[in-house]
Amino acid sequence: MQWILSGDPPIRPNNCLWCCVCFLVMAMIQFSRTQTSLFSLLRLLSPFYRHKVSRRSMASDAATRFDFLVIGGGSGGLAGARRAAELGATATVIESHKLGGTCVNVGCVPKKVMWNTAVHAEFLHDHSDYGFDIGNVQFNWETIKAKRDAYVSRLNHIYRNNLDKTYNNKRKAKIETIQGHARFTNDPEPTVEVNGKKYTAPHILIATGGYPSLLSDNDVPGANHGITSDGFFELESLPKRSVIVGAGYIAVEMAGILSTLGSKTSVICRQTGVLRNFDAFISTNCTKELQNSGIELWKNTQVKSVSKKDNGLLEVTLVTKDQEKKNDEEKINTIQEVDCLLWAIGREPNTSGLNLSQVGVDIDERGFIIVDEFQNTTRKGIYAVGDVCGKALLTPVAIAAGRKLAHRLFEGKKDAKVDYSNIPSVVFSHPPIGSVGLTEEEAIKSRGKENVKSYKKSFTPMYHAITTRKTQCIMKMVCVGKEEKVVGLHMQGIGCDEMLQGFAVAIKMGATKADFDNTIAIHPTSSEEFVTMR
Amino acid sequence: MHTFSCVSYCIISLILEIKWQGVWFVTGTFDYDLVVIGGGSGGLACSKEGKCLSTKWGIGGTCVNVGCIPKKLMHQAALLGTALKDAQKYGWQVPGPISHDWRTMAEAVQNHIRSLNWGHRVQLQDKKVTYLNMKGRLVDEHTVQGLSKTGKETTLTAKNIVIATGGRPKYPTHVPGAIEHSITSDDIFWLKESPGKTLVVGASYVALECAGFLTGLGLDTTVMVRSVPLRGFDQQMAGLVTDYMEAYGTKFCWKSVPKRVAKLSCGKLQVTWTDRQTGQDQQDSFDSVLWAIGRAPETKTLNLEKVGIKLNKESGKILVGADESTSVPNIYAFGDIGEGRPELTPTAIKAGKLLARRLTGQSSELMNYDNVATTVFTPLEYGCVGLSEEEAESRHGKDSIEVYHAFYKPLEFTVAERDGSHCYIKVVCERGGDQRILGLHFTGPNAGEVTQGFAMGFRCGATMNHLKETVGIHPTCAEELTKVNISKRSGLDPTVTGC
Repeated sequence: MQWILSGDPPIRPNNCLWCCVCFLVMAMIQFSRTQTSLFSLLRLLSPFYRHKVSRRSMASDAATRFDFLVIGGGSGGLAGARRAAELGATATVIESHKLGGTCVNVGCVPKKVMWNTAVHAEFLHDHSDYGFDIGNVQFNWETIKAKRDAYVSRLNHIYRNNLDKTYNNKRKAKIETIQGHARFTNDPEPTVEVNGKKYTAPHILIATGGYPSLLSDNDVPGANHGITSDGFFELESLPKRSVIVGAGYIAVEMAGILSTLGSKTSVICRQTGVLRNFDAFISTNCTKELQNSGIELWKNTQVKSVSKKDNGLLEVTLVTKDQEKKNDEEKINTIQEVDCLLWAIGREPNTSGLNLSQVGVDIDERGFIIVDEFQNTTRKGIYAVGDVCGKALLTPVAIAAGRKLAHRLFEGKKDAKVDYSNIPSVVFSHPPIGSVGLTEEEAIKSRGKENVKSYKKSFTPMYHAITTRKTQCIMKMVCVGKEEKVVGLHMQGIGCDEMLQGFAVAIKMGATKADFDNTIAIHPTSSEEFVTMR
Repeated sequence: MHTFSCVSYCIISLILEIKWQGVWFVTGTFDYDLVVIGGGSGGLACSKEGKCLSTKWGIGGTCVNVGCIPKKLMHQAALLGTALKDAQKYGWQVPGPISHDWRTMAEAVQNHIRSLNWGHRVQLQDKKVTYLNMKGRLVDEHTVQGLSKTGKETTLTAKNIVIATGGRPKYPTHVPGAIEHSITSDDIFWLKESPGKTLVVGASYVALECAGFLTGLGLDTTVMVRSVPLRGFDQQMAGLVTDYMEAYGTKFCWKSVPKRVAKLSCGKLQVTWTDRQTGQDQQDSFDSVLWAIGRAPETKTLNLEKVGIKLNKESGKILVGADESTSVPNIYAFGDIGEGRPELTPTAIKAGKLLARRLTGQSSELMNYDNVATTVFTPLEYGCVGLSEEEAESRHGKDSIEVYHAFYKPLEFTVAERDGSHCYIKVVCERGGDQRILGLHFTGPNAGEVTQGFAMGFRCGATMNHLKETVGIHPTCAEELTKVNISKRSGLDPTVTGC
C-alpha cells in the first residue's frame, strides 16, 4: 500500500524526484530503561520464549523486537535478511516502495533488458550480411516497455516469495516485511518507527540505497524539465531527440540504448571524453565508439539553461569552453526540440528522513554513511551496506556485504567482510566494457612506472568477418613486478560482458601473466586473445 | 638455415611464435634442421623458417578451411536466425516470412576463408618461410619427398621431422551408397547451394554443431544417433544440449543405424536405417546426407610404417610420448594425428610451440594435455573444463566428490519468452578440504566467452571458495558460476530465483 502512495501518479512529467523519495526508508527505536533491562534478561532465555514475549510487546508504545531489523528491501538488505534468517535470526525488512530496490526496479535489470533490445537493432544491421532477407523493420517502444514492466513486477513477486519462504529454521517463522518509511527515534537504544509503530533489534542494518542526482533550477535554470535514469524507465515512447548530461557509465549506457534504438542523441560532458575514471585505453576507445555509432559528443561543455517551448519540447542551451586553453572563449549553442533531457551526473544516498544524526550515525560530506570494513557505522548495533555507503555501487557488492554481515552477526564469523579489491564490473555500452582491478595509471601510481608492464591487443571480432558493420575489441592487461602479477584487466568489445567473470576469479587468486600464457585457448572466441597475448 | 614445413591443417595467427636461433643449428649434411609436414594450426605454430606443402585446402588446415572458422560463422548465422524471432518479442516488427539465402552466407564465409589463406601465405613470406604446395611422404627417417599437383617431385633432408597432418572426416565402410551420395564436414561449408533437408549421421560435437546451424538456418534437419550424444563429455550436459536442439526444431533418430543410401530419380537421397530398439527398418528421403561419425588421421600416404613409426592399429593414429616423440627418435608427431590427443586447434598450436622450443633447446617444458577447456558451439553452447561428473565419480568415488549445480534463466531469454530450462551450471569438486574444483560445466549463451576465464582459474587450482569469494557481474550469465551453492547431495531445488 505504502509504495503506491509514495509512487504517486506523476504530478509532473519529471516524476523521477518522486521515485527518489519513494526509495527513502526510515527508522526509529523507543525504549525505556526498564524495558531494556527486561529484554536483556529475556534474551538469555530460550528463543521460543523470547519470540513469544516479543509478540506480546507489540502493544502501544513498546517496540516490537527482532534479532535483525533491515531498513531497505533492495539487493543488499534482502540478501542480509535472508541469510540472517537462514542462520536462525528473526529478521524483518522495512521497505517503502517495491521489493528489489534500484537493481530490479530502475537499475541493472530493466537497463539490461533495454540493452538487449538495442543489441537486436545492431543484429538487424547484420542479418542481410549473414544471408537473412528481412524487409523494413519497425520498432515499437510500447511493446518492450510493457514486457519490461511485466517482468519487473514478476521479479517483485519473486522477491516477496523468497522472503516468505526463507524460514527461520529454529522458529519456523518467515521474514516479516513492513511496508512504510522508517525513522530512527530518540530512544536510548536504537529504535525505528514505521507507520506509528516502533521496532527494535540489537542489530539494525541500513540498506536504503540511493537515487540519481538532479540539479535544481538554481543551479541550471529549467533543470527540472529533465529526467534521470529513474524517469527513463517511465518513458512511454522512444524520444526523437535525446540529450544526456554526464560522462559516467550511466550516461554512456543511456545514450547507447537511446541512440541504437533510433533516437538522435547528444552527450554533454564537462571534459574531453566519457568514463574518465576507467583506464585511459577504455575511456578513449569508448569515446570513439560512441561517436562512431552516431552519438553527438559535446566536449568541455555544460548545460547553461533549459527552457520549455509552447510545443512542449525543450531547448537546451550549452556553454562550451576548453578548460586547458586559458584564452578560449565561451561558445554558446542550443539544441532544439529535445523531448528527452536526461541528467546522469551521479547518485546520492537515501538518508534524509532516517534521522541519522539522532542515533549518531555519521555521514561523509556527500551524505553517504561512513562504515568500516565490517560495515559498522559509528553507532554500535547499526550497520550499513550497499549504495548508501557510496562505495562500489554494484548489486553483487551489496549482496555480498549483506550476507557477510549476517554471517558475522549470527554465525559468529568474526572476520567475515567483503574484499573491496578486484571487483569486476561491466558497462553495457555498445560494445560492452569489462573491467577488474587497477587501471594502468593506478598501478603506476602505487607501484612505480618501472614495475608496471601492460599488454594490449586490438582486433576485429570474428563475428564481423562477414559483416559490413564493424566494431573493435580492445584488451589490456596490467601486470606488476618481476612475476608479472596481473592487477588489472580492461576490455571493450562484443562478448566482453560475459568474458570477464572467469578471469576475475583467476585475478582474485593472484594469477600472473604466466598463468594466462599457460591456459589453453578456447577456439574460436574473443576471450582466447587474453591467453595468447604477447 | 631453413626448416621446412609441408601443409595440411589449421590456424595461422600464432605462426612463427618461436624465435629460432639460426646460429645454434649446425645442419651438417641435412638441407634443413626441421621439416614439418602439415601446415595446419600445429604445423604452422611449430615451424619458423621453412617451406610448406598444401594438400586439398589452402594453408591453415581443418580449422580455417573446414572447421572452427566456418562452423563458428555459420553458428553465428543460425544464432542471428534465432535472434530475429526474439527481436519481435523485444518490440521489433519484422515483416515475415523470414527467408535465409544459403548462397549469400556461404559466399561470404568462403571469401573470408580465402582471405585467411592469403593472409597466411603473406605471413609465411614475411617470416621467410618457404611454402611448398605439395604432398609430403617419408622416404627414410631423415628424408621427405614432396609431390606437387603437377607431378613434380622434390626431395629434402632434415635433422628432425615433425608430422602434423591432422585428420579428415570418416565415411562408413559398410553402408552402400554412403561414399557416392553423401558429404562430410569437409564439404558442407563449401556447398554453393543450400543442402536442403539434411540427415546428419553421428552425434559427435561436429555432428551436433552442423545439425544445429542447419536447423537454425531454417532447414529440416535430422540427427541419427547410434548410442549416446557427445561421447566423452558429461552426459547430463550432453542431454541438455540435445534436449535444447529438439526443443528448437532439430529432429533426432535415437538408437538408429543407417543401412543404405540410394539416389532416387528425383535426385533425392533415400536413406534406410534400422531402429536398434525395435529392430525395424525405416526409410525417409533427404536432399543431403552428412556423415559425422568421427575423424581418421591423414597418414596413409605418408609412408609411416615403412620408416618404422608405430601406429595404433585401430585408430591409425601415431603412438606418441609426452614429448610428442614417435618410435623413430628424430621424428615427432602432434595435433589430431597423435594417438589420444584432443582434436583441438589450440592444443595443437600450444603443443607445436612447445615442441619447437624443446627442439631448439630453449625450454624443456612439456605440453600439459590435462584439463583442456573446450566449447561445443551447438545452438545452446556448452563450455567445459576438467572432468565430467561420471569421470570424477570413477576416479575419486561418489562419496569423495561434491557436485554443485544450478538451473538459471538468462535475462535475454525472459523477455524473449524462451524456454531456459536447459541453461545449467555444474561444478564438480572434491568433497573434503578446500573443495578443489575437478570439473566445471556451463550451458548457455556465449559459453565460449564465459568458459575461458574460468578455465584459467581452474588451471590456477580454483576451489569452490574462490568462486564464492569473487564478486559477480550483474546481470550476466557468467555470474551464475560465482553464485552456485546447491549441492546435488542436498536434494534441494537448484533453480535460481531473483538476482
